[in-house]
Amino acid sequence: MTEAIVAMASVMTDPYLLLLIFLTTIVGVIIGALPGLGATTGAALLLPFTLTMEPVHAIAVLATIYCAATFAGSITAILINTPGTSAAAATCLDGYPLAQRGEAGRALGIAVVSSTIGGLFSVIVLAIAAPMLARVAYEFRPPEYFALTLFGLSMLASISAGGAVKNLMGGLFGVWLATIGADKSTSIERFMFGNDNLYEGLHFVPVMIGLFAMSELLIQSTRLNQIVETVAMKAVQLPTMADYKKIWKTILRSCGIGTFIGILPAEGATVASMIGYSEARRWSKNKEEFGKGAIEGIAGAEAANNAATGGAMVPTMVLGIPGSGTTAVILVGLMVHGLRPGPYLFTQQVDKVYAIFGAMFVANLMFLVLGLYAAKLFARVSLVPTAVLWPIVFALSVIGAYALNQSLQDVWIVMIFGVLGYFMRRFGFAVAPVAIGLILGEMVETNLQNSLKIFDGQWWLIATQPLAAFFLILSFLGLCGPALYGWITKRRA
Amino acid sequence: MSSEFDTEQSEAAARQRPLSPIDMLVPALIFVFCGIVTYLALHLDTAPPIVVGDAMQPRSFPMFLMALIALLNAVLVWQLTAGAYMPRVSQPPATWITMALMIVFYTLTTYIDLFVALIVVIFTMCLVWGERRVWLAGLVSLITPFSIFLLFDLVLRIRFPRGVLTNLYYG
Repeated sequence: MTEAIVAMASVMTDPYLLLLIFLTTIVGVIIGALPGLGATTGAALLLPFTLTMEPVHAIAVLATIYCAATFAGSITAILINTPGTSAAAATCLDGYPLAQRGEAGRALGIAVVSSTIGGLFSVIVLAIAAPMLARVAYEFRPPEYFALTLFGLSMLASISAGGAVKNLMGGLFGVWLATIGADKSTSIERFMFGNDNLYEGLHFVPVMIGLFAMSELLIQSTRLNQIVETVAMKAVQLPTMADYKKIWKTILRSCGIGTFIGILPAEGATVASMIGYSEARRWSKNKEEFGKGAIEGIAGAEAANNAATGGAMVPTMVLGIPGSGTTAVILVGLMVHGLRPGPYLFTQQVDKVYAIFGAMFVANLMFLVLGLYAAKLFARVSLVPTAVLWPIVFALSVIGAYALNQSLQDVWIVMIFGVLGYFMRRFGFAVAPVAIGLILGEMVETNLQNSLKIFDGQWWLIATQPLAAFFLILSFLGLCGPALYGWITKRRA
Repeated sequence: MSSEFDTEQSEAAARQRPLSPIDMLVPALIFVFCGIVTYLALHLDTAPPIVVGDAMQPRSFPMFLMALIALLNAVLVWQLTAGAYMPRVSQPPATWITMALMIVFYTLTTYIDLFVALIVVIFTMCLVWGERRVWLAGLVSLITPFSIFLLFDLVLRIRFPRGVLTNLYYG
């Protein structure tokens, strides 16, 4: 434990890392404040820039983007009724009405403080829970890992965007993408069409940039006629004692909800903020205020979405299963920098792991300062003309994809997946399941193959392993849970 | 913004109209995709039994995935017939032009130069997306590739493919 605290505190003694976190927090807040450019797109775009950095610095940059952009989505949600990130959608419900009443500064103050508390809480939980989970994960063998990845995929059924069926189809499509290239155990080429560059499979980075950044660019091209109305604001105000008295229970509740939702594979800040908001409303004594500028609504959504950031890092780092779209990109970053996610990360490179946690902790404090003193400035960023911003994103996307392997093929992959992602989104399919499926694909197949070898081809024996059976039951609930819940709700109604 | 907002907007419009054959286009394409992948998988090489052992042949897993996708697609078709919606997509011209610009980018990069391609595409995209100040579009299309080139070449030590412009720099 002492070793962990020392490693976390080591961030404070590394001026270069502190400067990097500070600059990245600014970039993260700008990215979060720009509608369309969320944490996932931002992390995907910045990943190539981290190539020459040390692993800790690189992951710290990506994690900082995640924390800062998740918070910053609230700035535009409150001031222009357009969530900078989907995780801030719930913040619009009460943030914008409060801003319209001339209390934009108060709304932003509550959002900043709630986000910071949520973020800090989740980093503390991450630092405590991750090594504990890692100790359990040592016991995992291929059957357990196979069941666990199956659980991760089944959770796609309940993520917010798209429908359960469409999300599962997207996840399976991602798993299929992972089969492109030479089979790991037999070296037999699959779906390569004579292209030797695909021998090791599709590179994750261009696929991520295509699915998240390029598809968003095409989505933005359909919204060129949108008119943005900004609410005037003098300065951000810290919550008063009366405000704190009103919201502290909501913040605590949302911290717990956000962290728990974040830990669940494939769930993320968007689901957390929605649940945080609805629970804030359910427990509130002033339900009638919700939707008209209730500060509990802002606090509930913001504490939950930032609490989900630390929570989502738990399965990402301990099990190699992304907790959200952004952590899928961070997971790719870990792999690119030679940090293989899994329980052994916590014994072999514990100092690096805790330095990353420390960086997240510092990032949460930095966006508190930036949010309080520079939110007004960052809000102006949202007024950058779309016609100028997105062509720049295009350039960053293609060059970023090229930079990783210095291969033009990766640039074409960005465009192909950009167009594919765009049409998927237009037809109601979310792209995050494809990214998560791609990452989990190799794990699923390899562990299934190894399990079959262990059990002499009798696949049903996987279910006889207690931990594997536990995850299989959870997978069943993950798949059928939403349908069962819907059926029960219908019957009650 | 994220996809759920697009979906919500489309949902509201889609629910006001009856199901038409065009709504089945996406499920039909997915069935075709599953069929093609399964066909390709069936024609993959077979590994010798001594290598595979009790595990699966490399073709089995993709085929299993396609079967699952097809099954879920059947559920999707059932949901559509039972009153669910499929967002009807109408692309504005800017979207089609942006996609066409990607092809232009590919062609120019392959035959002329990556940075010439970037300059042309950024400039055109700015104008297509509604920027009326031509000087600003020109400025952005020159400054952006130049800054990116300097950053990636000098700081990240990335070497770009040779072309008309990069040859001037690399010699």
